[in-house]
Parts: sequence; C-alpha cells; structure tokens
Amino acid sequence: MVARRLPPLRVTGYSNLNALGATRGEILSALEAGRSGLAPPAEDLGFETAVGAVRAELPELPVELDPWSTRLARMLARLLLDLDEPLRRARARWQPERIGVILGTSTAGVNATELAYQAYVANGALPRTYDFRRQHTFGALLHVVSELSGAQGPMWMTSTACTSSAKPLASAQRLIAADILDAAIVGGLDTLCSLTLLGFQSLQLLSRQPCRPFSARRSGISLGEGGCLALVEREGEARVLVESVGETSDAYHISAPHPEGRGARDAMASALAQAGCRPDEVDHINAHGTGTPLNDSAEAKAIAGLFGDQVPVVSTKGYTGHTLGAAGAIEFAFAAYALEEGWIPPSLHVDPLDPELALNVPRTLTRGPFRRVLSNAFAFGGSNVSVLVRSA
Amino acid sequence: MSTATAPVGIAGLGLWLPGYPSLAAWMTGRPDEQARVPGGRSLDRINRRRASLLGRAVADACAEALADAQVDPATVQTVIGSAIAESSTLLTLLEQMWRTKAPVSPAAFAMSVHNAASGLISISFGNRAFTTSLAADANTPAVALLEGIGVVLASGQPVVVACGDEAAPDGLIADEHCWGPLAAAVVLTPLEHERAGRARLRVRRPGRATLPNAAVDARAGRNPQIGLLDLVDAVARGAPGCVRLDRGDGLGWGADLEPVAGR
Repeated sequence: MVARRLPPLRVTGYSNLNALGATRGEILSALEAGRSGLAPPAEDLGFETAVGAVRAELPELPVELDPWSTRLARMLARLLLDLDEPLRRARARWQPERIGVILGTSTAGVNATELAYQAYVANGALPRTYDFRRQHTFGALLHVVSELSGAQGPMWMTSTACTSSAKPLASAQRLIAADILDAAIVGGLDTLCSLTLLGFQSLQLLSRQPCRPFSARRSGISLGEGGCLALVEREGEARVLVESVGETSDAYHISAPHPEGRGARDAMASALAQAGCRPDEVDHINAHGTGTPLNDSAEAKAIAGLFGDQVPVVSTKGYTGHTLGAAGAIEFAFAAYALEEGWIPPSLHVDPLDPELALNVPRTLTRGPFRRVLSNAFAFGGSNVSVLVRSA
Repeated sequence: MSTATAPVGIAGLGLWLPGYPSLAAWMTGRPDEQARVPGGRSLDRINRRRASLLGRAVADACAEALADAQVDPATVQTVIGSAIAESSTLLTLLEQMWRTKAPVSPAAFAMSVHNAASGLISISFGNRAFTTSLAADANTPAVALLEGIGVVLASGQPVVVACGDEAAPDGLIADEHCWGPLAAAVVLTPLEHERAGRARLRVRRPGRATLPNAAVDARAGRNPQIGLLDLVDAVARGAPGCVRLDRGDGLGWGADLEPVAGR
C-alpha cells in the first residue's frame, strides 16, 4: 500500500492473557526469569507435543449473556476486566457510537462447535445449550464485547489466520484518521482446540518438545492460546504509540512462506516507510519466529536483508506457544513491555543458534533503552503484518 | 448520533448467485439453470481445484468488478467479507475427527482458514498488496465497506470489496434461518481517481433506505451478505438514494448513492 503518513494511535490501556499468566505482573515475572509456559497437553492426543494453555481462572459471563458463554467469550471477559479503567475514561470522552471494536481471531467458536459436534456424532443430537449463531460465529464475540464494554461503533472480527489480531491496529489507525472513529478496542484472542492441534500435526508442523525458534535443532511449533486487548484513541494519556502497520501478501502458497521472505520484508519495509523511519532507528524486533525450519529461515532472510545482523531479534513463542490468531496482539503487548520496562527477555531454547541465520538472537535478558520496536506476524494465505511501536 | 464516512467512488461491480454467474446475467432477470455453481474461472487451475464454492464465487465476483473498473487485479488491495467463510470445510474436518476417525486432511485443514479465499485470490492474481478478511454476521457488508473506505482514504489507491457466504451449514442452523449462497463485489476508488466512474458512495448509520432491495428469493435474502448484493443491484440500476446494508437483522448501516453521469 502506498500509504499516507497517518497520526499514531495512542495506546491508553492494554491487557494480556496467555500461558504465562493473566496479569502484567505474572507475565513480566515469567519473561524476566526466562520461564516458559509450555507443557504437555492435558488430553491424550495420540502424539507428543507441548502447548501453552491458559491456566488462569476465567470469569463467568453475566447471566443475560449465558447463551454466548464459551471459553473464548470468557477469555474476552477476563481481558476486558483489565481495561475497565481506561474504558471508563474513553466512554466519558467519546460517544459510544465513535468507539469501535476491531478484533482478530483465527478459530472463533471452533472449540465450542467441535465439542458440540462430538456430542452430535455420539448421540445423534447437538447439546441443548449449543447455538451456532451465538457460540460459533464471529458476530457472537462482537455481541459479548459490545455488551461488556459499552462500545457501539463499527465492530468486526478480522480473520486472517495468524495475522488476525495484528491487523486491527491498522484498521483502527485508518478509521480514526478518516474520522469514522475516535477510539477502538483492538487486539484478539484464540483458544486451543483439537482441530488445530490435529491439523498442524497433519501438516507435520508440530514440535514434539517445546518449540525452539531460530535454533539449529528447531523442529516445529508449539501451539498456545490467549489474547490481548488494547484501547487505542485519537487523544489520551499514553506511554506507547502505534506508529504504523505494514500489510502485504506473499502471493506464493496457501500454507508456506515465500522462501526468501519476500512478503515479510515488504511488510516491514512498508511499516518503516509509513512512519518515515530508517531501519537503524528500530531497536528490537519481536519476530514471528514460530520454530519451523521454513518460517524461521524466511523471516531471518527478510530481517537480515532489511536490518542487517545487529538488531536484537527475539521470538516469544518459546514462552507462550504460537497462539495463532492471537499472536499478533499478544506480541504487540510484548513489544510494548520492551518500551515500557526497558528490557527484552531471552529467546528460549535457541542454542545452538542456526548458523545459516544471520541474526542477533539474545539468549539472556537484554537491557535497553528501547525506543522503537517492530513486531511481526505472518500467516496462512501469505498474509504478512509488521507493527511499529514507539515510546510516547 | 449519526455516523457518515467521507465519499468514495464506485468504479466496478460484480456478483455471483445460483443462476446468475455475472452482473450482466443478473440484469437480464432470466436465470441460467446451467449456472448453479461458480466456475472459479478467474483462479488458476491449481487453486480452482483447491477452492471451495465460496472461494470460486468471491474470486469470480472480484474479477468481474475489476474488469468493469479496468483496475489491475495484480495490484489492487482486497477486502473479503464472509460471516461463516469455510464452514463447509470445517464440517468435513469435524466428520473426519469424530465420525470416521480418519486422519485430518492437511490440504483441507490449510483451506479451512477464514482467509482461504483472499489467499487464493492473491496467489492466482499474483497480487502482493494489502488483503484482509473479516466477519460481522449480517453487518459484514457494512464493515467490509468501512474497512475498504479506510484503505482507500489512507492509500489513495483502489480497493476491491467482496462479500460472500456459502449456504448455511445443514443441521447447525435452524431451517427458518438457513440461507442460500451468493457473492458480490464493488471496486472503491478515491473520488479523484480516473476510474471513479459509476457512483459516489457514503456509508452511514442509521441508513434510511429509499431504494428497493434486489429481487431475490427468501433463502438468498437471508444470506448475511445480501446487503452488498442490494448495493450492487442499486448501483447497476443507476438510481440515487440510500440502500440499507442489511435486511433488518443488523445494526442498520446504509449506503448513500449518487450516480455519476455519463456511465
């Protein structure tokens, strides 16, 4: 996209939920200690792997929202709890019709549907409590977030596989610049489900052990679940700004990256160009870094080609697993932590670093300052997103 | 409070629904009983074979709209809206998982993502530009247009917005809510763009309809994407006024249309 320079988004609040915890303190503590949230799955899948399951207790929905109650919706409710105060301020500042909801998910209600379908196959009938339109569809989650947050502006779910929750940052930036919105709840979430575990296993992309992004011994991904919501506004007190978002396509293959990382490089270059920023002004890259041989190789080529081999590149998938549609938003939050806390966590299980990858991958906690951070997300369908954030 | 966007141009139109494989066929008012499934002729051979009915219908509607607008399919930005997208593929996978206990098909799994259609279109058209896929039940046409307008205003370049849904999945939705398949597409441009030819568009809420809905049967009328077909029909007929972007089961977004003389 040949884009005009748009005003940065002011991030006035964000919440994060993943295998490391449900609070900023829990998550930062695990990152600082280099402690992974990956573990063997609770159910026997018939093969070995590690997953990043959310262990936090999830709130029940209010009784009037019972028909919409799924694990995904309850994760959403948990994330909204931590946005309560900034949302209260936003509702006082803006009309509810000018507060949008733009979230991303890959699986939506598949978790609920696969359980219902399992019962259907076993008993010949769907469970009485199952409702496709209130539990499976993307609109179901929008209803829940609107009811819980009071937002009444335009609302949609972006679903572009593993870039789903990074793209809403770009959409919100455009709609605020176009004076369609004043504020938006953005981000996204996904749950673990049997279908994705079996599906990635069928593609021979799952690692048997916790994933090892950028290692010479990497052998695939570990799946995870979670989410992140951010409140972004036209004005307001913020410590983090979203400067720009690059979005491109590979036009290469439905489920494999371009081997030279062509679309990934274009997305990063687009984010820099939109912000008027040079590559040497980026202090850290939170890589997509899934841990598959092809993905990491393609991304490394893209990064090295644009930034050289000095910028610290960390994949946080070793902590949370690959949270699919939630990854872009969760890792946006990790980029924001780097700006706010002044350190980045070690990339886990890297050694021995793949000598074919010309990257600086820190294996110990690295202190900043970090003023600008790029966060990458790439996906099936050849979708590439790169989010550039900086300190306010 | 009323919300309205800045105006953009509509430069091209396309559609597919059973019996009507193109806008030209639609405007004749006579269904072609041989054209019950989309051909996917705009996709390359490999991707046509991979594509679901939705992927083929959306790709053909996009291709028709782009040809109408004379906009290059290799560089245009793309917004695809669908409420349930590849649910038929999902059901196939669930059958494999729970009933036949067969291994999950890797090809079907890769094609089960909501953005499968936009991925296939990008690959077939050789297009490395912006693309996205989104969903909002019956509000999908309205928010797909909002996303498209945002992209047009930010980039100054055309966007093709296409919405489609396959038939509702049997057994998972009550019969009275079930719908039939359709897809529709519009090419949006900045007003000053050389191809901003057919009409000027503003999306607003509330949208007070002054133009009639497209004449479709009740099942097609329940498709969550019917609002974009209503818009395509109204633009093609050239009347000024407002089209509602849902048929009563959404948030009431409307599209104000001002035809451009000389087309």
